[in-house]
Amino acid sequence: MAQTNFFAATNVVAGLELNDANSALVDAQQQAQPKDSIKTIKTACRACISNCGVIATVKNGRVIHLEGNPEDPMSKGHMCAKGLSGIQALYNPNRNKYPLVRVGARGENKWKRITWTTAIDTIAHKLMAARRDYGAESVFCSTGGGGNPEFWSISRFCNIFGTPNWFEPGCAQCYLPRMCIYDMMYGGTNASIADSNAQEVYFAHDTKMKCLVLWGADPSYSSPAMGGSALVDLRAKGVKTVVIDPRMTPDAAKADVWLPVRPGSDVALQLAWINYIIAHKAYNHDFVLKWTNLPYLVNTKTKMQWRAAKSADPKQPDTFMVWDRKTQSAQPLAYPWNDDLDVALSGTYVINGVTYKTGFQLLKERVADYTLAKAAALCWVPEAKIEEAILTFINNMPGGLCIGVATDQSPNSAQAAMAAGIIDMLMGDVERPGALLQRFGTAGATNMIGYCVPPAASKLPDEQLKKRLGGNEYKGLHMWLAAHAPSVLHAIETSEPYPLRVWLERSGNKLVNLADSKRWAAASKKVDFIVHMYMYPTSFSAYADMLLPTEEWLETDMIVESCNKLIARQAVTHTWETMDETMIWSKLAKRCAELGHEGCQKAFDADYMGSDLKYWDSMEELLDANLKNTGFTWQQLKQQAPVAYMSEADYRSYYVYLQKDPQTGQPKGFPTPSKKCELYLERLITLGRTGQPYSHCELPAASQDYDPLPYYEEPYESPLKGSQLAKKYPLVMTNGRVPYFHHGTLRNAAWTRELYPAPEVWVHPATAKKFGIADDDWIWVESLRGKVRGIAKVTTGINPGAVYMERFWNPETLNTKTHGWQEMNVNVLSRSQAPYNDVFGTYTLRGYLVNITKADSAPEGVWLQPKDFKPWLATPSAPTPDITKGVK
Amino acid sequence: MKKITFVIEVDRCIGCKGCQIACKLENQLGLGTMRNEIKEIGPTGTYPNIQMYFLPTMCQQCENPACVKVCPTGACHVNEADGTIQIDRDKCIGCGACRRACPYGAISFDQEMNVADKCTLCIQNRRQGGLPACVKNCSGGALHVGDINDPNSEVARLLAAAGEDHIYSLRDFGNHPSVRYILKNDKWQDVLPQDCVGVRRGRQG
Repeated sequence: MAQTNFFAATNVVAGLELNDANSALVDAQQQAQPKDSIKTIKTACRACISNCGVIATVKNGRVIHLEGNPEDPMSKGHMCAKGLSGIQALYNPNRNKYPLVRVGARGENKWKRITWTTAIDTIAHKLMAARRDYGAESVFCSTGGGGNPEFWSISRFCNIFGTPNWFEPGCAQCYLPRMCIYDMMYGGTNASIADSNAQEVYFAHDTKMKCLVLWGADPSYSSPAMGGSALVDLRAKGVKTVVIDPRMTPDAAKADVWLPVRPGSDVALQLAWINYIIAHKAYNHDFVLKWTNLPYLVNTKTKMQWRAAKSADPKQPDTFMVWDRKTQSAQPLAYPWNDDLDVALSGTYVINGVTYKTGFQLLKERVADYTLAKAAALCWVPEAKIEEAILTFINNMPGGLCIGVATDQSPNSAQAAMAAGIIDMLMGDVERPGALLQRFGTAGATNMIGYCVPPAASKLPDEQLKKRLGGNEYKGLHMWLAAHAPSVLHAIETSEPYPLRVWLERSGNKLVNLADSKRWAAASKKVDFIVHMYMYPTSFSAYADMLLPTEEWLETDMIVESCNKLIARQAVTHTWETMDETMIWSKLAKRCAELGHEGCQKAFDADYMGSDLKYWDSMEELLDANLKNTGFTWQQLKQQAPVAYMSEADYRSYYVYLQKDPQTGQPKGFPTPSKKCELYLERLITLGRTGQPYSHCELPAASQDYDPLPYYEEPYESPLKGSQLAKKYPLVMTNGRVPYFHHGTLRNAAWTRELYPAPEVWVHPATAKKFGIADDDWIWVESLRGKVRGIAKVTTGINPGAVYMERFWNPETLNTKTHGWQEMNVNVLSRSQAPYNDVFGTYTLRGYLVNITKADSAPEGVWLQPKDFKPWLATPSAPTPDITKGVK
Repeated sequence: MKKITFVIEVDRCIGCKGCQIACKLENQLGLGTMRNEIKEIGPTGTYPNIQMYFLPTMCQQCENPACVKVCPTGACHVNEADGTIQIDRDKCIGCGACRRACPYGAISFDQEMNVADKCTLCIQNRRQGGLPACVKNCSGGALHVGDINDPNSEVARLLAAAGEDHIYSLRDFGNHPSVRYILKNDKWQDVLPQDCVGVRRGRQG
C-alpha cells in the first residue's frame, strides 16, 4: 500500500487539542509578506556527523538553497549528496509535525494530536510510575548517530533520573572501542577520519605525511566532503595509501595497495604486520625505548608491571623497573629517562625466582605465530600483497594508520584498536608532523565527541550505576556511560535481572541499526510504554505509543569546532512543532521534578550541578555556558562564525609530549599513568577488575581479566575448513557506507532514493556463477536469523568469499505488515548473540555467515523507479516560531 | 572563439555523486531527470589486481553537435556568447530527436514540462560570475569549467600541466566532444556512459 503523505503514513484520527499556547502559534498559514526577504546564513550541516560548513539561502523564512562554505577548514566548501538533500529532508511531507499519541493498537497507525504540554506530562507520569513500581532502572533510553542527535542529552537525563540504562546501536559497535583504547594507550585523539579526528589530513598543502593506511575506513563514502576530499588532496600530493577492505571502495580503487581482507579477520592481519615490523626491526627504536612502556618489566604471573615505587604525587608517574644491560640487573627508571642505564627492550629475566619479561618481549611472543603465510591463509589475501602493503607503509614514514568502523563491528573490536595503535606507536607516528595521532588545539567549547550537553555522570547514584546492564562484564562501556545493547535486549525478553518497562527512544530506526531486528521487534511488545522521538516516522514508530517531532539540522543550534575555527550550526528556519531533543529532555526533567523527583529537582540547582550545568530553559543558555572560555556569546558566534579561535600554527601543536612542564621541569609526556605510550595496556586489567578509570565507583570484577595485549579470535560463525555452519551459509557478510545515507536516514528522501533505490549485494563473478546469479538480479540473502532481498552487483571489487550489503529500510511500506524493516534490511541477518568483545561487549554486525539464492522478484510494494518517489518530494511550509530558541 | 566546457580531473573523482544532487538542487530538476551522472568504469583486470575509476559524465559540449543539427525547431543551439550548447525551452517541442542523436545519452527528458533537458553549465550562475553547482560542491575538486580556447584560463592551464598523454575525451563519432578528462593513475577505458550501469533497480521476472 502506497502512502502519499504524512497523514497517510501516520494517521491523525481525532480530537485536535489546540488549547495551548505552543500550538496556537504553530498552525501558521502563509503570511502576507510585504516584500521578499532573502538572507544567506552561514551554518553547518548535520546530515552525517561531519559538520561541514554550509551557506543556506532563506527566502521569506523558507530555505531555498544550500552550498558548501569555503571558510570551513575541513570541508573547504565541499558538500555531499546527503547535505545537499537537506531541503528535501527539512520539507519532507512525512515529517513528524506534532506530538502524537496512539489511539489504536500498536502498529495500527492511528494517532491523536496532543500538545507538547500533554506529551511531556504523560511521559513524566509514566516515568515516575515505573520508578515507583519497579525502580528507576526499569526506565531505559536509546539514541543513535543518525539524524542530528544531541548525543549526551539522553545519557544526562538517565543519570539525573537515576537509570543506568541507555544504549545505542553504535557505541560498542561504532567508535567507542577505538576512542577508549587510544585514550588509554596515549591519551590523545584516535585516528578515525570519519569521526573528524586525524586532523593532520586537512593540511595536505604542507604535511610531512608520506603514507596513510586506511584500515576498514572509507572516507570517500563515509564523509566525502570532509575526509574524502582531504584524501584526494593528499593523494594528489603524492601521499601513498594502503587500503584494507573486503570491498573495493573508491579509496581502495585509488590506493597503491588494496588488501581485500576476509571480514572479521582483521586482527590476524594486524598481528602479522606487528610481527613483520618487529622481526625486521623496522620500528622506531628510540621512540619505542624512551616513549613507550614496552621496556618496562612485567611480572608474567600477575601480568602487572613491576613498580619500584608508587608515586604519591598524582602529577608524577610511578617508577617502573627495567633491565639494565650494563649492570645486568633490574633497575628503577625514573621518569622520563636515565642515560646512565642501558635499557633492554626485549628479554626474559628471572629475579628472585620471579619471571619478568619486558612488554616488548611479551608483544613479540604474542605475534610470533602470525607469519605472512598464516595471515594470508586466515585473511584470504595473497602473501606478497600483504608484504607489499607493509613495505609501502614502513618505507614511507612519517605516516599513520586510520582505523575505521569496520573492526568495531565484530567481537575483536578492542583488539583491533589496540593493534592499530601499536602499529602507529611502534613506528613512532605519534605527535610528529605527518602523523595522525595528535593532540592539536581545542576551543574547549564542546565535550566528548563534540557535543555541548554535559552528561553529569557523577549524578547517577552508585547503587544505580552498579545495576547497569552488562556494566560489570563489559567495563569499557562506562567511558560512554552506556549499557550493553544485547543485555538490554535480554532483560526486555526475560525480565532478568530486572524488568524494563518504559522506553524513550530517539533515533532513526532501531529495527534497522541494531543487530537481529526480529528479536528487537518481538521484545518491544513486552515494554509497557514506548516513546519515539524523531524527525519522521520510521519502522520503530509502528511499535511505539507516542511520537514526538524533533528537528532537522537546518532547524538546530550547535557549536562546531572545525580545526582552528568555531562554526555555528544555527537554525535557519523552523517548521511545525518540532523541538530540539536537548530541550525535550530538559522539559522532561522539569516535569519529573514537579512530580517530586529529587534528583530532577536538584538538576535545576546551579550550585549543586556545578560544571555539569543546571538544566536550561533555552538552547542559548546552554550554548552560552559552553562558550564561556571563548570570548563569544552564542548570539555573537552566530553573527561572526566561522571564526578562528587560534592561529593554524598554534592549533597544530606537534610534540606536545616533549613540551616542558613548568611545574616539574620535565617533558609533559602523555596523559597516561606512566606518561608514556602504553602499548602493554596494563590499565585494561585494572579496568576489568574495578571499572577504573571510567566508572565513578568501584565495580565487581569481570568474569575474566582483560588481556593487556591484542589477540585474534576467529569469528564464531567461521567459514574456515571444518565449519559445519559454512556448509549451509558459505559466504561472509560485510557492510559499509554508501554516500547517500547516514545510518538509517534519508531512505525517505526522493533524491537520494532515486540514486540508490535498493541495497546492492556485491558478489564476486566467480561466486555469482557458482550460485547462479547475474548482475541486477534480485537475490535472497539468508543467515541463521532470517532472509532478506537485495539487488546483485556482480563485481570483482569484492573478496570472492564475502558479500557486501548496506543497511536499508523501506519507508514506503511503513504501513504494511512489514513496517518497512523486513524487506531489505541486512540487520535481520546480523548476530546479537554471544560471543561478545571482552572489554566492550561488541556483537557481530560484520563477519557472520550467509547464503545467497536467486529471487523471483522485488519485495512487494517497494519503490524503485524515480517517479515512485514523487510523494516524498519536499513540500515547503511556512516557518513557525520555535519557543526553545533564544532567551526564554 | 570562446568555448566554455568542462575539464575533469578523473583521479580526483571519488564517486560520491554529490554533483548529481547539487545539480538537482540548483536546477530544480524533476525525478528521472539527470543532467550529470557519475559512472563506474571497471573494475577491469584480474582480481585482486584490478583498477576502477569514476567518470563524471554530462553534455560533452561538442564542437560539431549532432543534437543541434537534428533539432527541427532551433531550440537546441550553440550560444554564440560562450560557445555552449543550450536548449531553448520555449522552442522545444519535446520530439526527442536530440536525445536520439546524442552519442553519449547526455540529454534527459523533463516529463513535467515535455521538453528536452541537459546540462547548461549552470548558465544562470555563470551570468552572475558564479560557477556551476557541481563544480562548487564537488568533494574531490575534480570538476573545472572555463574557456578551453583561452590559454590563460584555469582549464587550459590544467590541460597544459597534465600533458597530452594524460588527456582523454569520450569516443568521437565526428561530433568532436570538447569536454576533456585528465587521467594519470589508471588506464583510460574507451567506454560510453550509456553502456555503464548507473543505478541498479533490479531485473524483474
